[in-house]
This record gives sequence, structure tokens and C-alpha cells, in this order.
Amino acid sequence: MTGETVLTVENLSVALDGLPVIHDVSFTLKQGEAVAVLGPNGAGKTVLFRALLGLIPHTGHVQWRSDVKIGYVPQRFSVDRSAPISAMEFFLLQSPNFWRPSAAFTAQLDEELKLMGLQRSVLRKGLGELSGGETQRVLIASALLQKPSVLLLDEPTAAVDAGFEDTVYTLLHRVQIDRGTALLLISHDLSVVYRYAQRVLCLNKSVVCQGPPVEALNPEALATLYGEAGFYQHEHGPGHEH
Amino acid sequence: MHQPAHASFWIALLVGIASGSVGPFILLRRMALVGDALSHVALPGIALAIIYRFDPFYGVIAFLLAAAFLIFWLEGRSSVPPDAIVGLLFTASLAVGILMIPNADVIESLFGAFPVLSLPLLLAILLAALALSALCFLLAKRFLFLIVSPDLARVHGLGRGYDLALLLIFAMIVALGIKLVGTLLMGALTIIPASIAKNLAQSMRRYVILSAIFGGAISVAGVWLAESFHFLPGPAIVLLGVALFVVSLPFARRKTA
Repeated sequence: MTGETVLTVENLSVALDGLPVIHDVSFTLKQGEAVAVLGPNGAGKTVLFRALLGLIPHTGHVQWRSDVKIGYVPQRFSVDRSAPISAMEFFLLQSPNFWRPSAAFTAQLDEELKLMGLQRSVLRKGLGELSGGETQRVLIASALLQKPSVLLLDEPTAAVDAGFEDTVYTLLHRVQIDRGTALLLISHDLSVVYRYAQRVLCLNKSVVCQGPPVEALNPEALATLYGEAGFYQHEHGPGHEH
Repeated sequence: MHQPAHASFWIALLVGIASGSVGPFILLRRMALVGDALSHVALPGIALAIIYRFDPFYGVIAFLLAAAFLIFWLEGRSSVPPDAIVGLLFTASLAVGILMIPNADVIESLFGAFPVLSLPLLLAILLAALALSALCFLLAKRFLFLIVSPDLARVHGLGRGYDLALLLIFAMIVALGIKLVGTLLMGALTIIPASIAKNLAQSMRRYVILSAIFGGAISVAGVWLAESFHFLPGPAIVLLGVALFVVSLPFARRKTA
């Protein structure tokens, strides 16, 4: 199924409280490829995801392949850190039986934990006790439970300690290769984009550039995307936004 | 079962359990204050019932359900900050209620009393409390999903209908307990057991179960204290709950240490 189009977006626009947030965005996503959405803060990247997921009203055309299974990885949990919710219970939100999970569910969970390099002991931890890296991997493992054909990741390393970012992307890359999962990911990190994305979508309210990173991310495009003081492409060790 | 004492114990047990079952979700949605103030809305309902001579229970439930719908509607409108409106409106209804209720009935309306109920109404209250507790446990997963990550929950097909369901269940539980605990304090009965259990529980499943147990136990013990020492039941229940909360605080510190 690799290569088949799973998502077609045409002329997508979103306005919040009457103000245009993204305008006239068009792109496609194919099975098995990784597309990075790049752009400065406030460029409408998360809004784009929320529109793709049907969470906010939009105009234009969003067409998912009919048998698509979408896994969504938000940036973080919305609940405060003191809430007594264990990581196991976060996974159980997807179990048919919350109070007494079936053996089949537990077996499937073990498989995803292993893929994400997580120990079973993480299940007993509270959501607030997880480190940034654990939180991100728990969120991804949870999205993988439904065996999605597409993963939407909203800055999967935003809360991860430096050094762990590569681990998360290596794991995601393995999911892409092993399962043929398509990845659509928001990232601030140009090095990640160059290394793992086959295509890039530069967004600053509207699409500034798109295509393979080496071609699309030319100095002019980056200047338009981030302003003149932004970054320029380096062959080795591209800059970080922070 | 007509005797106020027996009826009060049963209402305390089952409405206490129901309050404890819904409390964790209200607390985690950061609606403790809104929930606390919601019970004040019942007062004009009681006033109308006294003036037009029908059972106050029906006035209470009508006003509380209307308030639940109002909160739900306000939450869905991003342009209006709900807390200020809810605070103003609920306090205003308390003031209106106080002005309308005859002086002789004010204390009982505010702080509760040992209720005298017809057997059918008593049974209806007890059955409703049981059913609402069961609903909280059945819908726990969905309520929790919307709390942990609303966007993710919506991707999994959970709509705002569950937010409304939680508010309506909450309003009905408050309505069931108002005769015993009073309009000023009933909101607190839904928050206190959940606050105690939150200090002790390490997982959501234990949290809801512990909160339900504390809700039943505090209410029954409070009614017993009130009966033994001739207090009003509402303040006895609430003060006992707050005392237990203070005792539970060191456990919360140990949990996070």
C-alpha cells in the first residue's frame, strides 16, 4: 500500500473568531512517507492538525482515504500533574473494558510498550510523574494501539530533554519503516526534518514552500518563513529555533 | 421508613456515595467552585415550591437542571468567560431565593434538615442515587478521556454530549441531597470526598472507589453526629468531611515526595 495517497487537502482555510489563521493550504500525504510541517510559532500548525482531525470548522477540502485509521499524538496531557491517573489508565481509555481489561488488550499494550522501549513498570507511574521522554513515548504508544495507518504528531519532542529527541525520532522512524505508517509531524527542529522527513510543508498562515527538504528549504524560503533573521541551511548540524 | 432518622441514614448513605462517585470528575475538570455554587441555584426553586405549595424537590431539580444546561452552553462559547457569569448568576439566585423564602424556612433551606418524605419519594430518591452512582462508574472511562485530552477523546468519537451528561448527573445528585444537606452546603458534599480521596489514591480507579466510600461514610457519620448532638445534618457532614480532609493532607505530601 506504500505510495497510495491517504490524505488530500485542497484549499483548506480556517478562521477563528473571524480572523484568518490558515489560508488556502493544499498538500497530499502518501502511505509510508513522513511529511514535516515547519513554521514559526503562531503559523497555524496546530490549527492545521485540528482542522484535519475535524475538531474545528474549516472551509476547503480534507479527504482521508476511506479505510484510514488515524492516530493522533497531542503535545501533552490536559490534566494537572496532581491528578491520580496512572499511565496504565491512560492506555485503558482505549480498552473496551476500563475496570477489567482483557488479556488481549494487555498483550497488545505490551507489544507497543516494547516498540517504544518502555518498561512495564512505567504503567504504575502517575501521568504527572512521567518524564518528558516517557510522556511522549506513552502518548505515541497509545496512538499506536489502534494500529493506525497515519500518525499525526504535534511537536513530539517539545517536552523531551535534549539528547532524547533523537531516540523519539528513531522510534518513529522504525514505526514508519516496519509498519508502513504515514507520519505527519509538526517540528521546530530542522535537523530532524532533514534526517527523517521525505517532504516538508512550510507553513506561515499559508504554504510558503513544499517538497523534499533539500529542495524546498532554500535560503529564500527560510527567510520568508522565519523572517530575514531566520536560519539558513547548513549541510551539517542545522540550527535550532530555540 | 417514615421516621426521619431512618430515612436520613439511607439518604445519607446512598446520596453520599453518589456525591463521592461524581466528585472526582468535577474536581479534575477544575469545576470545584462552579460545582460548589451550583447548589445555590436550587434556592429560588424551593421558594417557588413553598409559595405555590408543591414539593420543593421538583422546584430544586428544575432549577438545577436548567443551571447545568447553562454551564454547558457557556463552556461551549469561547468568547464568554464562564466563571464570572456563573458566580454572579448563582449568587444572585441565592439572594432572590432568600428574599422569597419565608423566614421560618430559611435556615432549613440553606443548611438542610432531617427530611420528612413520603415513602414513594424516599424510594425514588434512593433508587435515583443508586442509578446515578452506577452511571458514574459506567461512564468513568469516557469522562476521564475528555479530561485527560479533549482533542484525543474527540478523535476517538467522544462528543460534547458526555460533558453535558456529567453536568446533568452532577446536578441531579446535588438535587437528591439538598433536603438533607441544604442549598449552601450540598455542593461541598460532592467536592469534599473527592478531595480527600485525591490525597490518598494513586490511580483513577482507586480514586473513584475511595471517593464513593468516603462520600457514604462521611454522610452517615455526619447524620449520626447531628442526631446524637442535635445539630443540623448539613453542617455536621461538611465539618466532618473537612476534618478528614485535613487528616488526609500529609498523605498527599508523602505521595508527591
